[in-house]
Amino acid sequence: MANIFPRWSNYMPLKVLVCLLVTAPVAVAGVWYYFTPKYTRVGYMPTQPVPYSHELHVNQLGLDCRYCHSHVEVAGHSNVPTTQTCMTCHSQVQAQNPVLQPVRDSWESGEPIPWIKIHKAPDYVYFNHAVHVNRGVSCASCHGPVNRMEVVWHDQPHSMGWCLDCHRAPENHLREPEHVFNLDWEPGEGESQKEIGLRLKEQWQVDPPTNCAGCHR
Amino acid sequence: MKRVFTHPPKPETGRKYWRSLEECADTPEFRGWLEREFPAGAAEMEMDGVSRRNFLQLMGASLALAGFGLAGCRRPEAYITPFSKTVEWMIPGKALFYASSMPTRKGSIPLVVTTYDGRPTKVEGNPLLPGSTGATNVFAQASVLSLYDPDRARRFRAPDGSTADFEKFQAYLATLPTESIAFVLEENNSPTRARLRKALAKRFPQAQFCVYEPCGNTAGMEAHQAAFGADSRARLRLENADVILSLGADFLGPEGTVEETRAFSSRRRVESPSDTMNRLYVVEHRYTITGGMADHRLRLRASEIANFASLLASKLGVGNAPESVDAELESWANEAARDLQKAGSRAVVVAGATQPAAVHLLAASINSALGSLGTTVTFQSAEAEQNISIAELAEDLKAGSTTVVVCGGNPSYNAPADLDFPKLLKSAPHSIRLGYYEDETSRDCKWHVPMAHYLESWSDGLTPEATYVPVQPMILPIFGGLTEHELFAMLAEEPTAEPVRPDGAELVRETFRSIAQASDFESAWTAFLRDGFLPESSAPDAARSINSGAALQLPPPASDGIELVLIADYKVDDGRYINNGWLQELPDPITKLTWDNAAWISPATALELGVRMHEMAADTITIEANGESVTVPIIVAPGHADRSITLPLGYGQALAGKVGAGTGVNAYPLRTSTAPYIISNVKVAATGEKVELAITHGHWTMEGRELFREGTLAEYQANPEFAKTMGMDSHIPPDISLYRPAALDAPEQWGMAVDLNTCTGCNACVIACQSENNIPIVGKEQVIKHREMHWMRIDRYFSSVTDEEPNPAVGMQPVACMHCEMAPCETVCPVNATVHSEDGLNVMAYNRCIGTRYCANNCPYKVRRFNFFDYNKRKVGTTKKGLFEADNLYFGPLGEKQETSLTAMQKNPNVSVRMRGVMEKCTFCIQRIEEARINTRVRAGASANLKIPTDSIKTACQQACPASAIVFGDISDPESTVSKLKARDRDYVMLKYLNTRPRLSYSARLRNPNRQMPGADKVGAMNHVYGHGDAEGDTHGPGVHEATQETHH
Repeated sequence: MANIFPRWSNYMPLKVLVCLLVTAPVAVAGVWYYFTPKYTRVGYMPTQPVPYSHELHVNQLGLDCRYCHSHVEVAGHSNVPTTQTCMTCHSQVQAQNPVLQPVRDSWESGEPIPWIKIHKAPDYVYFNHAVHVNRGVSCASCHGPVNRMEVVWHDQPHSMGWCLDCHRAPENHLREPEHVFNLDWEPGEGESQKEIGLRLKEQWQVDPPTNCAGCHR
Repeated sequence: MKRVFTHPPKPETGRKYWRSLEECADTPEFRGWLEREFPAGAAEMEMDGVSRRNFLQLMGASLALAGFGLAGCRRPEAYITPFSKTVEWMIPGKALFYASSMPTRKGSIPLVVTTYDGRPTKVEGNPLLPGSTGATNVFAQASVLSLYDPDRARRFRAPDGSTADFEKFQAYLATLPTESIAFVLEENNSPTRARLRKALAKRFPQAQFCVYEPCGNTAGMEAHQAAFGADSRARLRLENADVILSLGADFLGPEGTVEETRAFSSRRRVESPSDTMNRLYVVEHRYTITGGMADHRLRLRASEIANFASLLASKLGVGNAPESVDAELESWANEAARDLQKAGSRAVVVAGATQPAAVHLLAASINSALGSLGTTVTFQSAEAEQNISIAELAEDLKAGSTTVVVCGGNPSYNAPADLDFPKLLKSAPHSIRLGYYEDETSRDCKWHVPMAHYLESWSDGLTPEATYVPVQPMILPIFGGLTEHELFAMLAEEPTAEPVRPDGAELVRETFRSIAQASDFESAWTAFLRDGFLPESSAPDAARSINSGAALQLPPPASDGIELVLIADYKVDDGRYINNGWLQELPDPITKLTWDNAAWISPATALELGVRMHEMAADTITIEANGESVTVPIIVAPGHADRSITLPLGYGQALAGKVGAGTGVNAYPLRTSTAPYIISNVKVAATGEKVELAITHGHWTMEGRELFREGTLAEYQANPEFAKTMGMDSHIPPDISLYRPAALDAPEQWGMAVDLNTCTGCNACVIACQSENNIPIVGKEQVIKHREMHWMRIDRYFSSVTDEEPNPAVGMQPVACMHCEMAPCETVCPVNATVHSEDGLNVMAYNRCIGTRYCANNCPYKVRRFNFFDYNKRKVGTTKKGLFEADNLYFGPLGEKQETSLTAMQKNPNVSVRMRGVMEKCTFCIQRIEEARINTRVRAGASANLKIPTDSIKTACQQACPASAIVFGDISDPESTVSKLKARDRDYVMLKYLNTRPRLSYSARLRNPNRQMPGADKVGAMNHVYGHGDAEGDTHGPGVHEATQETHH
């Protein structure tokens, strides 16, 4: 009786098995890494219509975050400034600089400057800036060292797990209200971040929601 | 853990509650509705003529299309576009509130309008007005949707049908002849309009004004003029009334005002057994929501009510008794008269808009005889206006040289048929229509001018108690519409070489200047706009006595033939809201019919005519009157008078927009100027055909006992805790559940209490919820499949001791998610999409939901709604694509989309817009709760002051409720109103024996019968099958142990 299967097929099951053993972890690892916000979001650094430098304005000139993001303490959204805010200085300072042409155009025409969105929460997530900054969470906790950024990039993953890490242990990020907008602040010698955080959490009764309705409505 | 509920057996005796005739008869269809959340066609793929093969083809094609659009895996670039110039007051993401008001024919409803980024999204009543609770009605709640109606008029149309513009129209106005002109207006008490009318008379000395309201209370006004003169206005003061008798008046419904419902309910708020309540007698031919609140209801044909009114009047010493009177009627009238007499000045008789003027005059005479003028009916002086009736206008038009200006309304559609108004309007040499839609009247007029919505307009008005209120625009006219005032101002101006567009604000400011007489005009004006009313601007009460010489001819005694009564619809009113999807899909408070009108007839008359209702369909009949005939489906309405037909007006508009197209039947052709509401001796014949109807009375039926609980005031006084011991509630064993509920350890614990004694079932809460929570409409076909999305429903129960009772009682019960502490839905969700929050809410994470619908199947209250389709994005109605014609929704991605740039503007940005495949339900307005939580924490800052102020959160339904029947709050705070309500002795929860521990509880309904009245023993008679008043809760009786057990599956 002739062989139905050729000789090479003897190793077939082994090859298949090895193949599966290799491809499955690769697939898992690939999805694990590439499909998560850690990869898809962190590092996103689009070119903005106006090369606005936070490093220049905040770090060198000493502008407060709230000069431009003026409603962050009262509203859910942290607003991006209107052209009028830019023009308060730039009608005098650098008034002829060609890179500021879009700003002057917007001021003349009334058309908005199309800033490219970097941090985008999904539509079903209702994040509120005001409650975070008023309760001792610094801008830097979620946005990274924006004051050092020439061009703003997405610094943290902003995934739900990442949100919950802090909502379950807010002590890792709480600081005194006067340091919230000081992005360079570090805990001093005497007290660690955790100690400060635990103290404030106790004092202010910080109770971040961990149920779905806290963010999803 | 799937829980199988074993309900206790149905009581064999006692009062029976049912929602549909099917339920009353316990038909197999009803069993099907009961056992399945979404019956027929829910689980199977049902395609309405699209076969499975076609479906796959469509899907394949759409998938291929989707492939072309696949740009990359990165999410698309999004932009942030801040304003160029900073806008005053505007904070992105925060709502701005403006005070305004909605003009209606019953006076203006003061409002606070919520706007986001310049878009009005929600209206609420203005709580700043003295006495106001910030309530509204169903039409005010729905009005915001009409603003964004894609079908509204968008252009100026010249006589040749071409699209013109404002300048061309203005040029045309200069050419208008000034001799003979007539204005057709809607009823509106705006002082600015009154002022501009006088200004108009300067340029047009012979100007005539016809105020035409097809469903207005013309007869009432005629009687008022005869009795008290034209220079006054009467107000019903139900807060002072101990005994109220309605002669076909639906004063808690569209015939009344928000204030009247509030005043009425203030006398129904029974806190303890020592409290009293008012007593309501209703004489009517069909069930109204006022009839539903009645303590005694007399079912009488509308044409016989006049006879009854004179009988009642004669008992109270007014006029002579009619000749022949039925003995039953006589004894009813006797007792009612005695009760009215006893209450004296604290009694009131109210006549309905459908009744002839003579009945209104009789009511006024009775009130005068009772001495109630000045207590339950008060007067304010008002300026009399010279108006002509539409019949007089028709006479003028016949002469053929009159210029007609029609502002609002739709007389070509709804003028009395005998006037042949469309033809007369067409023959007018000049005619201008200021209209919200390009409808029948626009078709018949030479010029059509788009009208601004009231949310786009500057105007003013008077509330029903005559407080002066502003109407201010929230948004520029989306389609460049004009207001009535602006048109008047343009017409009043002498033509000049350079005409300017009138300034609406300036027109109102000028009126305000003369009314307010303020020393500092600007700050008075600012305060007026900020507060939304002018303090103490209401005219003081004036004394009026009845003109004893007033006499109006009573209609001849009713004939035996079948009568037809035309009524204003509870949803589309006189037809003006035909294209409002929320109102179309709203179940009628009594018949629970959506998307249609139908002829209401009593079960006996249905039998006589040989017609009946089928599952989701009904036989049709032809009604013939005045040489016209209409064919309408019937609805068998329990409690309706025999040999009488009720037909709501407003439907069947040929030129309605996409939503209103093809809904219902036009009843206006049956109407004449002499018999506007009641038409005697109509010819009726069954056609043998049937028509599909989307009636929701059998939807979401709950199994279980004693869902709606009521008793009489006397029973309550004898046994204050009667509601707690009804059904088997006194026999529930102590909680021995092994299952541990979620930890409820937050400082606030949310709960709701609904007072069934004040709820009239007006539906304002249903629309308020829809508006607040971005709830889509689904269309008639989907409602037939039980897929309506309302988070809140109002269960209308009929109840009677026998099945044959021709006059059953009505009870209304609003039902939303109960937020059970032991929620059966949560235990079956495979993905934890519905879970419990620590403050006691049953929360729903839409983005987690995978649409298994297990939760809906396991909900004993049937309050969960499933998005079978992308209702928020797709248009309702049928679509034709190539060879296929089907419900648009079935075309999936190929179906027609809504004009989202417009409709999306209404959406509340704080609530997710749910997509296909997601379960949803009432959230207790979680967005409002979270906003309050966040605001408290923002305020607290670096402190621990986290107490949310007591009663500071109101849910949308609560805020809208004119009767204040719904109360939401923190049940762990003993100071909160909801805690106090829940501590009431009448408080009960539905299906308590299932141990779901609902957070929504009800206060049992009370009726206040007059013991001497015939049939008083049947009113509110309770069903004490298990309850023998022993509150200890002994555990005997069959079915009890079964009922609380849990089984594993």
